[in-house]
Amino acid sequence: MGRYVIRRLLQFIPTVLGTMFLLHYITSLAIQFSGNPVRALFGDRTPPPALLQAITERLGYGDPCLDRKGDPCLWRAAEDGGGLLGSGYELGLFFDRLHGIFFNFDFGINLRQQEVTDLVANAIPFTLKLLVIAIVFEAVVGIAAGVLAGLRGGSFLDYMVKISTVFVISVPIFVLGLVVREFVGVKFGNVLRGQDWIPDLISVGVFSPVFKPDYPLASLIIPGMVLGSVSLATTARLTRTSIMENVRADYVRTAKAKGLTNKRVIGVHTLRNSLIPVITFLGVDIGAAMAGAVVTETIFNVPGIGRLVTMSARTGESSVVIGVVTMLVLVVLLANLLVDILYAVLDPRIRYE
Amino acid sequence: MRGKFLKVAVAATATAMLATACGSGGDSDNAGQAGGTLRVYNAEPAFLTPSGGDDEPSLYVIRQLYRGLVKYNADTSAVEMDLAESVESADQKLWKIKIKSGYTFDNGEPVNADAFIRSWNYAAYGPNAQNNGYFMKRIVGVKDLQPEDPDGDGPKKAPEPATKELSGLKKVDDLTFTVELDAPFSGFPTTIGYPGFFPMAQACVDDIAKCNETPIGNGPYKMDGSWQHNVAINVVRSDSWKGEPGKPDRIEYRIFADVDGGYAAFQANELDVMYTLPPARYKEAKQQYGDRMFEMAGDSFTYVGFPTYNDDFKDKRIRQALSLSIDRQSIIDAVFDGRNAPATGFVAPSFEGARENVCQYCSKDVDKAKQLLAEAGGWPAGKKLILWANAGAGHDQWLQAVGDQIKAALDIDYELKVNLQFAEYLETADKKKFTGPFRLGWGPDYPFLETFLYPLYGTGAGSNNAGYSNAEVDALLKEGDAAESMQAAIPSYQKAEDILGEELPVIPMWWRKEGAVYSENVDQFVWNKVADADYGATSLKKN
Repeated sequence: MGRYVIRRLLQFIPTVLGTMFLLHYITSLAIQFSGNPVRALFGDRTPPPALLQAITERLGYGDPCLDRKGDPCLWRAAEDGGGLLGSGYELGLFFDRLHGIFFNFDFGINLRQQEVTDLVANAIPFTLKLLVIAIVFEAVVGIAAGVLAGLRGGSFLDYMVKISTVFVISVPIFVLGLVVREFVGVKFGNVLRGQDWIPDLISVGVFSPVFKPDYPLASLIIPGMVLGSVSLATTARLTRTSIMENVRADYVRTAKAKGLTNKRVIGVHTLRNSLIPVITFLGVDIGAAMAGAVVTETIFNVPGIGRLVTMSARTGESSVVIGVVTMLVLVVLLANLLVDILYAVLDPRIRYE
Repeated sequence: MRGKFLKVAVAATATAMLATACGSGGDSDNAGQAGGTLRVYNAEPAFLTPSGGDDEPSLYVIRQLYRGLVKYNADTSAVEMDLAESVESADQKLWKIKIKSGYTFDNGEPVNADAFIRSWNYAAYGPNAQNNGYFMKRIVGVKDLQPEDPDGDGPKKAPEPATKELSGLKKVDDLTFTVELDAPFSGFPTTIGYPGFFPMAQACVDDIAKCNETPIGNGPYKMDGSWQHNVAINVVRSDSWKGEPGKPDRIEYRIFADVDGGYAAFQANELDVMYTLPPARYKEAKQQYGDRMFEMAGDSFTYVGFPTYNDDFKDKRIRQALSLSIDRQSIIDAVFDGRNAPATGFVAPSFEGARENVCQYCSKDVDKAKQLLAEAGGWPAGKKLILWANAGAGHDQWLQAVGDQIKAALDIDYELKVNLQFAEYLETADKKKFTGPFRLGWGPDYPFLETFLYPLYGTGAGSNNAGYSNAEVDALLKEGDAAESMQAAIPSYQKAEDILGEELPVIPMWWRKEGAVYSENVDQFVWNKVADADYGATSLKKN
């Protein structure tokens, strides 16, 4: 097990470096082809060249390779002419960034001179809360619906789960988010807010159309449910199929034959084994949920990571995009590793040597 | 319960209506002194320091936290003394500024001559990378603080400036200082009401990052807690402020990523003021909120510039002909739901000295257009007119309408060039590489005609993207700059504007209409013609 984990952790290194290079290259190309983002800060007012230069340099867009279209910014001509091993070149912007991130934990600053690490630290709690709400909602409701449908295949309940999941799965999240904000948050919320007997926590908090600082957790519930609903359908259907398969398995028949209670047969013998594909899905889904958070957080104005990425991608802030996406990659990798380890816990037949 | 249930669409307003009923019984003088909490929409500011913040969301907060030498009258936009006792000059070049005594920052530091000199120096010093360094451009010595790269090309390493202080700023005594400009400028007093000229405390400059998170202001409001990035900024009335107090006890700026989310919160009665509206919801909002919607022809200018450095556009008759073929109002109605006001001059209509119909070629007249084009020798046969705009900002639609109208009137084929991102587009403008008419905009820096004239049309001026140069215009602008007062300067500027109306270096298109909505909790909403929504002056209804 220990060796397995170490091997997996070592595999992280090329994955992370590769992602970072891609991000670095894409954001550099964006600047090379669409111009210096610092110039756009000034808009119609043409800044004095000296001031523009000073700010460009301060914000980390001063490297001359950003003027050369297609340059991957790996090397630069050494200023003293010597460079690395006398080649006349030294390590360029990409390595400066790696050095900053891995040796000084310095992810750079955004166009407003704020540290990317601060931005992320401010945003993470909101995203984590949102993700927890989403995953819990999706797991609890999805698995419950799947179990009910799976145990009574062909029943009314089964059809209801099947039809409603098709419905949820076919609505893209940005449509669902906007519709929920408009009709649940504004219209239905206003109805609730007009009723005196409903506590503020519900009417002003939970049913606020967007994230509300006064009710930091309550106003995240609906956005979290919207985020979770996308994968809810898949979770429910996976559980359903898996349960249907397993109730006919030999070991379930054995358990029944032993005279175990129905509760134990379903809860321990069937469900535990049926959950393996579901857990895999939920683990992978954390990554997908992060992508969904980009949309949900922007619609519901949740000041989390997703909104941060949206905003910085819009203004072309390379340092923020590189920093945040690298962190997201690490989150997804770790989540996948945890899932793999969970397999061994759920199914004693799986062993990592 | 059911009966009540049906009335709920208006039920949220019940308490507010009750409050009105009570309020109207009391004396009207007290209306608006109700205090309370004003909840307003805001986007995430860039900076909360006077030297850094130059975008709308920043300015809205900075204007309540800080105060400057002068302020602007909400209705007339005239300059009124705020912290300054007097701002005087004999030659419009050396200005003497006296400050009223007794004002302090929130941390107890006095607001004196040093506070202003410190702030302006800090903004101008290149390595500090402050956006408002731009506004110090007139003060003597600014070039020493923003030295240029001697070799002109990369590596972009600007040399360290030799000095950190503007040589044009001199302290006379504790409450007096002088400002020397590099050329006479009669409009100087109007410029210093811009937040870039507000004072900063020593403690603020010493730790600018901290001051940005928890500003040390000198205005009617002070921070309550620090800046909660992307969430909220809360300010409360400041006890140390000696001037006219702000009306609400507390202002809460809720920060939104996009205006649609803000509008949803407004509809749910979570906000009292939205200074802007999502364009798609404009009609609906107008219907729904009616008299609680505030509209005003603003001072945000959209124009289609001519690259006068290009041979095709050197003849003014060609420029006139193109302008004459455009029907502005029909484009505004079709594309913008009527949310703009057609421009017939070069100076915002709300400005003192602005006149209508300065441009004789700004309404549609196809016959005259054809005639002028023929006189100029016609458009080069087979050549396409290339219309430029930046990508992704929704300009393609109206620019296409412009192209269609030109095609219909003059039979000139056009092509849209709308694939450049804003940064690259602006760089193209700076390098004067446009090959056809280009869209750009302009907003005033201060309420004085000159802000719409010199920067855009003065020879070699920073934002003169048309590359326009006219000795007569330059001379008239200089004459206005050197006039003995702002009033006396107006005729010279107007004469310069008349020449522009004939020469048309750019086609004036329209002025954006500002639209704001406010909730039923608001008693009196105040919109300052220069500074926009004034939250400190906006009063709430009594509860």
